[in-house]
Amino acid sequence: MPRGWWLRQRHYFLYMVREFTALPLALWLLWFLVEVQRASNGPKGYAPHGSPAFVVFSVICLGFALYHSVTFLRLFGVVTHIKGVPSRVIVVSLFALWLVASVVVAAVLIGFAR
Amino acid sequence: MSHQTAHMQKPAFGHLIWWFLFGGGGVVSAILLPVHILVQGILGPLSVVPVADRHYDTWVRLVGNPIVKLYLLVLIALPFFHFAHRLRYLLVDLGVPAARSIPAQVVFYGGAIVVTAVTIWVLLTTVPISFG
Repeated sequence: MPRGWWLRQRHYFLYMVREFTALPLALWLLWFLVEVQRASNGPKGYAPHGSPAFVVFSVICLGFALYHSVTFLRLFGVVTHIKGVPSRVIVVSLFALWLVASVVVAAVLIGFAR
Repeated sequence: MSHQTAHMQKPAFGHLIWWFLFGGGGVVSAILLPVHILVQGILGPLSVVPVADRHYDTWVRLVGNPIVKLYLLVLIALPFFHFAHRLRYLLVDLGVPAARSIPAQVVFYGGAIVVTAVTIWVLLTTVPISFG
């Protein structure tokens, strides 16, 4: 197969983007792990990520994260077989779970800020 | 026939574990990552809302909780088994057949295992476990 095969069709290109999402998301998580580790520096040494570059990086990562979420949950719902349950119901449940989990995580992160 | 089935079951079980890690990592990153990136990567640093990780005291209170530690292990480590698989196949699709080889598999999935070990180490050494 020629190297640039995935550039020829929009569908192939989006497939490659889906696989590529793993890279920025992995980098974001590693950088987050660095922040967790910084808690060991004590009250004076602790510095959360907050530079403009980090915010820009996060905005880019959020785009890839949302693309991964939508494509993966849709696919996962379709390939998961539960007897007697239509795949559409599984997909909708996964998206509902995504919404609930997001609200809970945001509530904890914001609620425990004081 | 039964002998053949028994022979087939061993690799199948290994595959099942890897598929569980791949699928689990995919679900965890799909359901939990966007909100963390939005709140901790964008809204917090821009001071749109107060976020626990902006200050040492509030962050340590969260990270010291054993349930939060377990959550962070799942959140950070499990997706790497998904990412490893995706990135290996990205290389294959980009025309790098070596990414199919056993050494490449060891590097990618081994990398996920290393990240898991480092995450456990960080979670156990940064903030002592407390129930406060």
